[in-house]
Amino acid sequence: MSTTLEKPARRPAGTSGPWSAPPRPAWEEEPGRAGLAGKSLVLALACLGILFPIWIVVVTSLSSRRTIDEAGGLVMIPKGITFVAYEELLSGGQVTRAAVISVLITLVGTLFSMAVSVLCAYGLSRTGSLGHRWLLLALLATMFFSAGLIPTYLLVQSLGLTDSYLALILPSAISVFNILVLRGFFMGISQELTDSARIDGAGDFRILWQIVMPLSRAVLAVITLFYAVGYWSAWFNASLYLNDQDMMPLQNVMIQLVQKQEAPVGLGQAIKTGQLSGLAVQMAVMVMALLPVAVLSPFVQKHFKKGMLTGAVKG
Amino acid sequence: MAHSTVPRSDAEADETANTPAAPGGAEGARRKPPSGRLSLRLRFRRDRVLLLMTLPAVLLVLVFSYVPILGNVVAFQDYDPYVSDNGIVSILHSPWVGFDNFQRIFADSAFWDAVRNTLVLFSLQLVLYFPIPIVLALLINSVVRPKVRALSQAILYLPHFFSWVLVIAVFQQLFGGAGLLSQLLRQHGYDGLDIMTDPGTFKFLITAESVWKDAGWGIIVFLAALASVPTDLYEAAAMDGAGRWRRMWHVTLPALRPVIALLLVLRVGDALTVGFEQILLQRDAVGPGASEVLDTFVWWNGVRNQDFGYAAAAGLVKGVVSLGLVLAANKVAHLMGEQGVYKK
Amino acid sequence: MPLLAACGGSDSGSREGTTSGKDAKKILPAYMASNVVAPDIPAKNGSAMGFTGKLDLAALKTSVPKALGKGGKVTVMSPFWGSPPKADNAYYRGMNSLIGVDVVWQNQDGNTYDQKLGAVLASSDVPDVVVVPGWNMTGRIPSAIISKFADLGPYLSGDAVKEYPNLAAIPTDAWQRSIFGGRLLGLPQPSPYVTGIVPLYRKDIFDKQGYTVPRSADEFMALAKEITDAKAKRWACLDMKWTAWQMFGVFSGSEKPLGWNLVDGKLVNRVETDEYLEALEWTRKLFAAGVVHPDAKLGKTAPDPGPKFAAGEFLIYANNISQWWGRTAEQATQNPEFKVWGMDVFAHDGGDPHLWAEQPAGIFAFVNKKASESVIRDVLAVANVTAAPYGTKEYMMTNYGVEGTHYTVKDGVPVKTDKGNNEVSNAYVMVASPAATIAHPDFPAVAKAQVEWQQRAGSFTRKSSFYGMQITEPARYTNLSDGFEQLEDDITRGRKKISDMQQAVSDWKSKGGDKLRDWYRKLLDDNGTAAS
Repeated sequence: MSTTLEKPARRPAGTSGPWSAPPRPAWEEEPGRAGLAGKSLVLALACLGILFPIWIVVVTSLSSRRTIDEAGGLVMIPKGITFVAYEELLSGGQVTRAAVISVLITLVGTLFSMAVSVLCAYGLSRTGSLGHRWLLLALLATMFFSAGLIPTYLLVQSLGLTDSYLALILPSAISVFNILVLRGFFMGISQELTDSARIDGAGDFRILWQIVMPLSRAVLAVITLFYAVGYWSAWFNASLYLNDQDMMPLQNVMIQLVQKQEAPVGLGQAIKTGQLSGLAVQMAVMVMALLPVAVLSPFVQKHFKKGMLTGAVKG
Repeated sequence: MAHSTVPRSDAEADETANTPAAPGGAEGARRKPPSGRLSLRLRFRRDRVLLLMTLPAVLLVLVFSYVPILGNVVAFQDYDPYVSDNGIVSILHSPWVGFDNFQRIFADSAFWDAVRNTLVLFSLQLVLYFPIPIVLALLINSVVRPKVRALSQAILYLPHFFSWVLVIAVFQQLFGGAGLLSQLLRQHGYDGLDIMTDPGTFKFLITAESVWKDAGWGIIVFLAALASVPTDLYEAAAMDGAGRWRRMWHVTLPALRPVIALLLVLRVGDALTVGFEQILLQRDAVGPGASEVLDTFVWWNGVRNQDFGYAAAAGLVKGVVSLGLVLAANKVAHLMGEQGVYKK
Repeated sequence: MPLLAACGGSDSGSREGTTSGKDAKKILPAYMASNVVAPDIPAKNGSAMGFTGKLDLAALKTSVPKALGKGGKVTVMSPFWGSPPKADNAYYRGMNSLIGVDVVWQNQDGNTYDQKLGAVLASSDVPDVVVVPGWNMTGRIPSAIISKFADLGPYLSGDAVKEYPNLAAIPTDAWQRSIFGGRLLGLPQPSPYVTGIVPLYRKDIFDKQGYTVPRSADEFMALAKEITDAKAKRWACLDMKWTAWQMFGVFSGSEKPLGWNLVDGKLVNRVETDEYLEALEWTRKLFAAGVVHPDAKLGKTAPDPGPKFAAGEFLIYANNISQWWGRTAEQATQNPEFKVWGMDVFAHDGGDPHLWAEQPAGIFAFVNKKASESVIRDVLAVANVTAAPYGTKEYMMTNYGVEGTHYTVKDGVPVKTDKGNNEVSNAYVMVASPAATIAHPDFPAVAKAQVEWQQRAGSFTRKSSFYGMQITEPARYTNLSDGFEQLEDDITRGRKKISDMQQAVSDWKSKGGDKLRDWYRKLLDDNGTAAS
């Protein structure tokens, strides 16, 4: 883009500032009015297709039982905002506890996964080191097969991890793929920097901590997000390995409350007698599950392309 | 690595991130020479910290990826999980039945239903999944305003980070029997429509859900590929008088071809693994006839019915066929001159 | 350990077969009746006994003078239907202090209980007590029960039970059902043998709209069409499969042995009968007519019917008779006009129905084999309180909770509060109960109607060949019939055809159904039958 000839772009009326278009390359024709309209329409529809359902969920969660009854169910246009569903939900204890559990698992799990992955990626980043090829191969091979659900299940159960949060962290703690991405970045860091640190007497841990990691912030942010989203979204292992309903994380509680439409603990009577809208409560649970993700992911967005190019290739 | 101009850093990221097992070549020259001459002891002394660093990951992989492979022996047993309190001890106490479980599987119509559903879903997703991200990527690529670009990407990426539980809950609110669509239809005098429990359209529903969740994310790789097309190609084409559409046909799409081919090949390798969590969450709503895939078949028979030997046998069949497919897909990728997942 | 005993073995310790006659006598607890209050309606035709008079709350008897619990902690896993209360609540605390044991509940969704049960029993930390309903004893669960749970014989057989007078008052036929693999393993919940499934309907709306209760399959269909107005979010009913079984006289499906019956000298399974297919076909038509609430399409994972029934989204659903009172109490304070009632079961052609008896005990609590004697004693202390008969303080506490918190007394009648409706449900009543009792001092009219319903239905009820026995099928056949329930739901919802069922039945026969028939035949020849 930067090497081509430039000509001043004609700006569509009414736009200015950061929303305005940078100059177009000379060889590119100005888009026709119809083309532009068509393009904008498709893009807007695509974005609407994602935002509209979220909007309905949020609005319904903030609506009173009366508004919901009048709308005949989901509410598209808000008529006054009430936090009653959230208040009741958080007072019930079940959802609050589940949310705390999910946050803790996500924090601890992500920290653990990042520590293990970064260490391993660095440990494998020097070609020619002892066992480097074999270890790499051993990790890579796991991308081609999986032992299968049943043997894994039997193993976790035999290890006594049933009803333990370790069962939600350990079996899925690392993604070999993420390690490879990290390793790729670490290998791209200038050799001179690390060598001079070594001459100054720095050990590998210090080099990793003081030189390599600060230089890899972008990829670290992306991989952290990936692990965190993985932990936050996980439900299957909990359904498999946790028997105690009081230990369930938010996603599993969401399955019960939204998909199976059960009433939250303590609110059964209020919903059965119509004092509280079950629908608003369901929507509130969904909002709680999507909120952290929707808030955090845009911050990492600028690093996605860089960090995850190969990630997307793998799918 | 700074992140300045988009196209260049993309190209760089591509190069560096994609070199998992690439000894020799340019990279080898930059690094210390392979040290085959040093004695093992010296090399161990030199690299022991590095080895120590890999230890936690290696242990995890060993315990949770390699050790369970051995557990597949239950496929050859009439495994009784209740003869002891420990899954491994139970293996020792369960009777061996040879290939009985496999014979039962191949005679089980439910298994073949699962195979058929798996393959149909896979083909459907293959056909419907690719065009949408490509079109979206071309669209976004042609948008020049950086803010519009960033905003639309932020929105399109978002569902990728939603859990399946959430995505399905959202679809239920829109298309379920009590959902928005039914609500609107009923208010206007039509019958409600319950897409969430209709086995006839279930496979389309599953595909629509994955498109909603991941199509936006899918554009990321196409955008990168588009950004790496040398601009002088466009320039030259434009000078030769090629219009917008002809440039897309002759320059843009050929540039995307290797990426598309690679993605296709890799997906084929994953053919037998279609949306386990996604389908498991909706299995009861439409019944197993329409929804059972190989992975859920294993779950149902093993975890749900405690017929672990039988389930493990089905899992083993799936695992072996999958491994074959992955290897074949990579072979094809190599033949096309692409890297695939691993490199020779 | 994998022992394949000879067919029909009734020797104690065997994993399969049944235990009866002399072998059973040695194990069964002695019976010692203890009715504190004489029932207003004595049990008849397999009904529960009914108490419909006014209960003098001030004169409640004490059946457990001194708490038997030793203050230990007991974890109990139990199915729970509806939304469970918080783990630490006034009801649980009140019960625990009455018993003298710290009971910790692990409530699991009752509708998908089977999914958790298998996994829990296979793990190394089985809770101290596990409640297992008979209908969840599919697959390998029966063999798990025999290998994982403690023999209660040493504590309860013969006169030993007299240490727990309320357990001694549990009828012997319920204890008979608690013998698994030759040992007394279960603490039973006695139940009337009359079917427990009642077609419940919104009487208030029926009366207002002038609907009449149907008396035949066709009348039901016509009424359902009349009621349904999807635009107004109103449907006639939920899945009426269970009612269809009753209308067409299909053998009971609540437990595998009940599905077999001697017909003209030949053992026939319910899935082989024409009635089974006819009932399926009728239910399929009901779904096809669009009169079934969309929630019911979800099958086993359908949500709790409570809220939508109260909202009038559907007017009829078939469920356990206990919901007749449960729903009434639930809505009483908030929605006084709400009225739920039970329809009499009718034959599809409008004549008298042919009903089949259920087992005299269908839900059991088991104690972990690894539990120490003191834990077992504590569990029995729990059971001795929950099995207290009507008219005692213990019964009132188990079923109504703490006065002032869970119910208030108005004109001498207990009225459940919202808190009571939230907290006093399931849990303790799942661990051993007194002889089948229906008593609702807050709604005596409902109690009367319930018992009368049972007695009318009871007059049409017959017992099938394996009534009353606790039978463990050979391990190799246990998964044989697991697919039928799903197939039934697939057919009624139009996803599969009746011909698929016929195919499945013929597969079932060749894969072991016929061999299983021979096995049951031998069992019948060895043990005789309780059928009448």
